Amino acid sequence: MANTFHLQVASVDGLIYDGMVQSVSCRCIDGDRAILAGHTNLCTAVGMGTAKIKFEDDTSRTAACIGGMLSVMNGECRLIVTTWEWSDEIDVNRAEKAKERAEERLASKKLSEREYKIAIAKLNRALVRLSSCKVKQ
Amino acid sequence: MASNMKAVKLRMKSIESTRQITKAMELVATSKLRKAKDKAEAITPGFTVIRHTLRDIAEGNLDFSSVYTRASASDKSCFIVIAGDRGMAGGYNNNLFRYVDEKAEGREFAVVPIGKKSYEFYKKRGNEILIDSYKEADEISIADCFSAAKSICEAYKTGRFGHFQLYYTEFQNMLSLVTRRIPLLPLEDFDKKKDPKSDIRNIIEYGPDAETVFETIVPEYIAYVLYSGLCESLASEYAARRTAMDSATKNAEEMLENLGLYYNRARQAGITQEITEIVAGANA
Repeated sequence: MANTFHLQVASVDGLIYDGMVQSVSCRCIDGDRAILAGHTNLCTAVGMGTAKIKFEDDTSRTAACIGGMLSVMNGECRLIVTTWEWSDEIDVNRAEKAKERAEERLASKKLSEREYKIAIAKLNRALVRLSSCKVKQ
Repeated sequence: MASNMKAVKLRMKSIESTRQITKAMELVATSKLRKAKDKAEAITPGFTVIRHTLRDIAEGNLDFSSVYTRASASDKSCFIVIAGDRGMAGGYNNNLFRYVDEKAEGREFAVVPIGKKSYEFYKKRGNEILIDSYKEADEISIADCFSAAKSICEAYKTGRFGHFQLYYTEFQNMLSLVTRRIPLLPLEDFDKKKDPKSDIRNIIEYGPDAETVFETIVPEYIAYVLYSGLCESLASEYAARRTAMDSATKNAEEMLENLGLYYNRARQAGITQEITEIVAGANA
C-alpha cells in the first residue's frame, strides 16, 4: 500500500476533486512540482501546464491546469485553480481550432496591446489544452 | 352610498393590479433565484477550501517580505459593498448598509460599490468611491472580478488604503440571509482560529520566494472571494425579493377579500333600502 495523502482541488466552479491520492504534479510558476505524501509545508503559485493526479488505485488522470495556488499544510494538499479541465473531457478539435484562430490573429499585425495580450492568452490556453491531451496518449 | 361603492370598486381595481405586479415579480425572482442558488451552492465548497487555505497560510506565515503580509502604514479603510441593483426586496439592501455602518463604528471609509443600490447610497452619502465601474451586480463576470481584484491590490500597494474588507449577504437558505464581513487585506487582518496551538507556527516553504508567491496568489484570492460573495449576494437578493413579494401578494389578497365583503354588504344594504322605500311608497 503506497503512502497517500488528502488532496482537494477547488475552483470557482466548485470542488473538483476531494479524496486520497498518491501524488499530484502540476506546473508552478517556477517549474513542475510533484507532491508526494509527507511533503513539507509549501505554498506556491500555479502557472499554466499539465497537472497529473495519481489516485489510490494506481490509476492516474491528467488535466489542463491554469493559474491558482498550490498549498501543502500539515499533510493536507490543496490545489486552487482558475481553470481545470480533465484531459479526457477536452474537445481536441475545438482546442485545435482555437489555436489556429489565435495564431491567425497574431499573424495580422494591426493589434492593440490589449488585443495582443488576449490573443496570446488564448493561444497559451489552447496550447496547454492540447499538450495535456498529448501527455495522456 | 352609491358614490362610496364606486370608490370601493376603484380601490379594488387598483389593488388587483398591484397584486398582479407583485405576483409577476415574485415569479421572476423565483426563476432567477433557482439559477443563482445553484451557482452559489456550487461555489461554496470550493470557496471554503480557498478561504481555509489562505487562513492557514496567513496564520503560519512568518515571512513579511511581501506587502500583502505586512501591516500597512495607512489606517484608512476601503469597503467593498455588494448590494442589489433594484429595491423591492424587503430589507435586503438596508440591512447590509446598516451592518456596514455598525462595523465601521463611525470611522471614515471609502467604498467600492457593487450593485446600483450600493452605488447610489454611498454616492448620496458622500463617501469616497474608489471604483465605480461595477454598477450592475447582475452582469459581473469572473473576469470583472479579476480586474477589480487587480485594482484593489494596486490601491493597497500604493498605500492609499490600509485595510480592505468585503461586505455581502450570505445565502444560508431561503429564509435566513446573513450579512457578512470578510477582511481581505492585509492578510494579518484574517479571523484567526481560536486555538491555543496557534502559537506554534509551522515553517512554510515558498517557491520560488514568498514575495513572488504572494504577488501572484493574493489578487487571485481576492478575485475568488469577490466572485463568490457576488454569487451569494445575488441569490440572497432574489430570495429576499421573493419573500417580500410573496407577502405583498398575500396582503393584497387579504385586502381584496375584505373590500369584496364590504362591497357586497353595501350593495345588499342598498337593495334592501330600495325595497323598503318601494314597499313604504306602495303602502302609503
